[in-house]
Amino acid sequence: MRSYLILYVNGKRHKISGEYGFKTLSDFLRKDLGLVGTKVVCAEGDCGSCTVFVGRMKLNQKGGIEFFYQSIDSCIQYLYQLDCSHIITVEGLKKPGKNNFQSELNKVQKAMVDAGGSQCGYCTPGFVMSMSAMLESKAKLTRSSIKEGLTGNLCRCTGYEQIIDAALSIDVSNYESITKSFNSKAMLDDLKADFFKSVYCKYQVSWNGVKRKFQYFVPTSLKEALDFKQKNDNVTVVAGGTDISVQMNKERIDPNCILSLTHLKELEEVNINDQIINIGSKVTWTNLEEICKKQIPQFYKIIQVFASRQIKNEGTLAGNIVNASPIADSLPFLYVIDAEVELSNTRQSSNNIEKRWLKINKFFRGYKQLNIKSSELITKVRWKIPDHEDILKLYKVSKRKDLDISTFTAGVMIRIKEGKIKKACLAFGGVGPVVLRLPKVENYLKGKTMDERTFREAGNLACKEITPISDVRASSDYRLLLAENILHKFFCEWHEEKTKKKAA
Amino acid sequence: MSIVGRPVPHDSAIGHVTGEAQFIDDLTSSKNELIVDYISSPFAHGKIKSINSEELSLLDGIVGVFTCKDIPGHNLYGPVIKDECFLAEQIVEYVGQPIAVIAGESSKAVRNAKKQLRLIIEEFKPILTIDEAIKAKKYLGKSSQFKQGDFEKAWKESDHKLKGTFVCSGQEQFYLESQSAIALPGEQGEITINCSTQNTTEIQEVVAEALGLSFHKVICICKRMGGAFGGKETQAVLPAVMVALVASKTNRPARIAYTKDDDMRSTGKRHPYKIHYKVAFSSKGKIKGLKFDIFSNGGAYLDLSNAVMERTLFHSDNAYFIPNLIFNGTVCKTNFPPNTAFRGFGGPQGMANIENVIEEIAISLNKDALEIRRTNCYLRNNNNVTPYGQKVVNHLLPEIIDKLAEKSEYNQRKKEIEEFNKSSNTQLKGLALTPMKFGISFTTKFLNQGNALVNVYKDGTVQVSTGGTEMGQGLNTKVRQLVAEELNISYDDVLIMETSTEKNSNTPPTAASAGTDLNGMAAIKAARKIKNNLIEFASCYFSSLKKGIEPSVESIKFEMKDKGITEIYDLRFPEKRITFRDLVGFAFMDRINLGERAFYKTPKINFNRDTAKGEPFYYFTTGAAISEILIDRFTGVLKIERSDLMLDIGKSINPGIDRGQILGGFIQGVGWVTNEDLRYSDKGELLSYSPTTYKIPNIQDIPDVFNLETIENPYHKINVHKSKAVGEPPLMLCLSVWIAVKHALSFISKGTIPQLNLPATGEEILRRITELEKISKYGKKNNYSSNESEVSLVCNTLISPEKKQVA
Repeated sequence: MRSYLILYVNGKRHKISGEYGFKTLSDFLRKDLGLVGTKVVCAEGDCGSCTVFVGRMKLNQKGGIEFFYQSIDSCIQYLYQLDCSHIITVEGLKKPGKNNFQSELNKVQKAMVDAGGSQCGYCTPGFVMSMSAMLESKAKLTRSSIKEGLTGNLCRCTGYEQIIDAALSIDVSNYESITKSFNSKAMLDDLKADFFKSVYCKYQVSWNGVKRKFQYFVPTSLKEALDFKQKNDNVTVVAGGTDISVQMNKERIDPNCILSLTHLKELEEVNINDQIINIGSKVTWTNLEEICKKQIPQFYKIIQVFASRQIKNEGTLAGNIVNASPIADSLPFLYVIDAEVELSNTRQSSNNIEKRWLKINKFFRGYKQLNIKSSELITKVRWKIPDHEDILKLYKVSKRKDLDISTFTAGVMIRIKEGKIKKACLAFGGVGPVVLRLPKVENYLKGKTMDERTFREAGNLACKEITPISDVRASSDYRLLLAENILHKFFCEWHEEKTKKKAA
Repeated sequence: MSIVGRPVPHDSAIGHVTGEAQFIDDLTSSKNELIVDYISSPFAHGKIKSINSEELSLLDGIVGVFTCKDIPGHNLYGPVIKDECFLAEQIVEYVGQPIAVIAGESSKAVRNAKKQLRLIIEEFKPILTIDEAIKAKKYLGKSSQFKQGDFEKAWKESDHKLKGTFVCSGQEQFYLESQSAIALPGEQGEITINCSTQNTTEIQEVVAEALGLSFHKVICICKRMGGAFGGKETQAVLPAVMVALVASKTNRPARIAYTKDDDMRSTGKRHPYKIHYKVAFSSKGKIKGLKFDIFSNGGAYLDLSNAVMERTLFHSDNAYFIPNLIFNGTVCKTNFPPNTAFRGFGGPQGMANIENVIEEIAISLNKDALEIRRTNCYLRNNNNVTPYGQKVVNHLLPEIIDKLAEKSEYNQRKKEIEEFNKSSNTQLKGLALTPMKFGISFTTKFLNQGNALVNVYKDGTVQVSTGGTEMGQGLNTKVRQLVAEELNISYDDVLIMETSTEKNSNTPPTAASAGTDLNGMAAIKAARKIKNNLIEFASCYFSSLKKGIEPSVESIKFEMKDKGITEIYDLRFPEKRITFRDLVGFAFMDRINLGERAFYKTPKINFNRDTAKGEPFYYFTTGAAISEILIDRFTGVLKIERSDLMLDIGKSINPGIDRGQILGGFIQGVGWVTNEDLRYSDKGELLSYSPTTYKIPNIQDIPDVFNLETIENPYHKINVHKSKAVGEPPLMLCLSVWIAVKHALSFISKGTIPQLNLPATGEEILRRITELEKISKYGKKNNYSSNESEVSLVCNTLISPEKKQVA
């Protein structure tokens, strides 16, 4: 156990403890280190101006440890999530020259200058980092891959076209990884000593005579994590933190006891057995996306539009579930597929970890209310990969196609046998306090033939089973219309695909 | 080889990509600096009963809490009419209106202290919409009217008439750098303000007035802005006054940087509009008469609303000749933050309205809309008088429309779309070509001036300062090119310095797309003066080298050689040459003036407000765009498949920067007409106050195919290097997207004019599809309600941090 965090920024070591651990990375960079190239606009992970690289220690294929770099939004990463990592900011990209102003730009920077990719320049460091991240990951730079890689960065000036021009002009063939500018070996050697030790830090602040205690814990084993949850009852669990950190930035919550899952490698596992897929609760969307690409293309499509690269690199499926939003993008899928969550628990003075599985629709009790004990932690999510004969379609309607919180979501899974609907699973999100299965409509569909009238009628029925509200994203009328139309859309799409298949 | 006309990169581009380019909140904190924030009204309308400001000021880490009583000068301001308080006195008139300023040692202390706020306000019922304001007779400033011919006669005599209502919502500027300012106290009450502002002079004056100082004791500096788009033309004043007040009260440096949330909640936006129209036209679609009753939602105070409304009137004709017309413009007072400048400045709303009318004429006559547009388009020699009497001359509007239609295969694609819409019952397509004509000059005449200071140093390098501010638009790059060209020296030897009232006084805001026109011309004039000084000196210098040769300024030549070295020689014996650097050095020794300031004012322009006639614009920037869109019939979700833009921007000073301005302006406009949806609670609180809920276009939203072409205009012979302003005009090309949606909707119920509010969000589109499908099925008439609101209200309130503390 140690009481400090260690992190490297652009190759320089920083030992952090006490209050500092409770800072966002962007604040630490800007206010403490004076690295003001990283900008903060929204403080909620929606604009990408604060994009930096984080290199986390991972085992490589040869069994050694190396930094594994990804782009992240530094405004919603607190330092307790970044122990034993190497942060590279925009200041770390260029190679030093004779003077600071004569230093050499990297390929992305040069392309952005030449193509007129910046106007006011405020979003530019973020774009440069995201684009460099694409080069680091050896992505092919095509118009569509560039758009995907830069979905998490907003620009108000350029209309993006010249930014795309810049990316397209880059010769990726002899790109030299930025990581080579730093002495990774020395950093890793230094960190290795601490990497396997948990971090526990507590401190107290006093303001106008009122004292408040804070603590954060970064365990290296699940058992420790569960013991901590057992011992404390107001624990805020942070995995990717892509929602919790936003709530904290916006002062909607003010936690003082943090359990950071950063070092729990055992929760990062994914395995598929007998068509059952098990996803550890620390598995990020980026990892899951890769797996679903082949296994569950319908879910893959949702993951693609669901968030930016920076968010997907940190956020987790389990986080999306426990956040308990009725418009959580993964839920309609998990509902129609009857996914289950694994909740783990430990008793004090016992070495055992107790586990129980809960059906996803039993996991939610009401708006933002979960069936989980304060001592429990989600450790896994599992489901059976849908059969090929099941027709599965997932829908996400949002104001903006990409990186937007949904107005309405739906999952529809139909099994047809001998020309009739044998089984129908429907789940709608954004139409009530929790994601809803629609048993009446499911019953109605059972035994019917696949025709347009049936699905139109099903749409009418669906509206009677839901009570959407009007809010900032949409009116209840719009949500009702969507609920009505989506089943019709499902049918038309199915019909069109079938016709196409026949024609082929 | 001329530097003007070359696509040199933005002059801060390297700073941008390395993160070295600094914005206000990036500036290093000085010792003792205080963090400033403000306490604002949680209600749209009410009376302040009490605030525990003294109690707050005693909390740990808090240095002061200041209310209107602490303002040493006067508390009233406003760019045109002083009707707004820096800090609310008794009445609050919008959510987010500053009531008190709080200064502390750290942002944490300030945040903590704000949680101890006890603010008691007696809540009044707010007025939020234009209709409510009209009912209550709440207006801002005077109404204005444009008139031409005899509308009533044309209306009476015409066989073809339409009337209806056009409704559009506002738009948040969404500059990425939020409002921010730093104040540094000086000696004897002097103060320096670093501010993210389009208008350094106004900051200087307003801060002086608030603090009770004379203007010469205040300096305002702006190096650059992280975007502004009009949002920092007048509204950078509040943060500047806040930090100035703290600095003057505490004698310590003070810094404020709004959070994005606070910025969006408390600052003004593009005006929402509601326009009732009547149009009379011939069977061929020629407009005979037009009447527009135009209302804008001005917010709580006047700000620039009258000027914005005036520009709406100036652009309600867009590119069309209208023989008989009445345009009435009225600004309504409501309980929102005062709406303000935003790229286009009232033009987009006026142009959207008439494009809507034209599309409806086409649908009602079952004719092609492009034909109607072309029929009514301004010509060069006749049919060229605007509603305000100015002739549109030297333009290429008909040619642009024809060429663009041809190049983008309008007719062919229109047929394909008709076929597509017949065969698909899941998707809808639409296509529209809309022209754009935008008047260049401030319509307030005195603002059309600029001054510049050029200093040549002894090594031949040059610093230029103008009153123009850099907000990303590339003003500094262009001025740098112009000065380098004028002095015939290397671009690298010229630097543009930060904007400061210390160097450039009494300047207008950098706005109205006129930044380069005014400041570029002034800088050229200053450089020319220095060059003349140098030529005169050089003529003497060279004549002294050769006996019997008289000095001749005409024979002195500047020639740029390789590696950016400029050589000067006398034509009569070109073998004797000196470098620019040497010439400058010698000139200094001979006591020649190497620094000059110059002044420029736009010639000709004039507008008589009493008669509403005149020539307010020096020239027009024109263009057109064609967009094709695809709609999902089940969800209303919209996708832009292709956009082609064509503009006449004269001879471009920097084609790279102009291209960026055009494409960026277009996409910004696309945001306004599609997904940027400001939603408020029915208490007047903005609910979509951050990028989570307010969706500006992201990279996935740009058209799949996106083409831009500029065309040469041989008739255009005025303005700096025969260029044209390019800042605002391209934004209005976005109307092609919105009209394309309307076109798509017109296929659902043939012959029915589809109503479409702006923005065309998925929700709006699906609502209209459903409406039209019902009409198509049950044959009902589309009875469009003129009660539709330009403000999107949701019956659900927000619990703002301030509100929690309201007793």
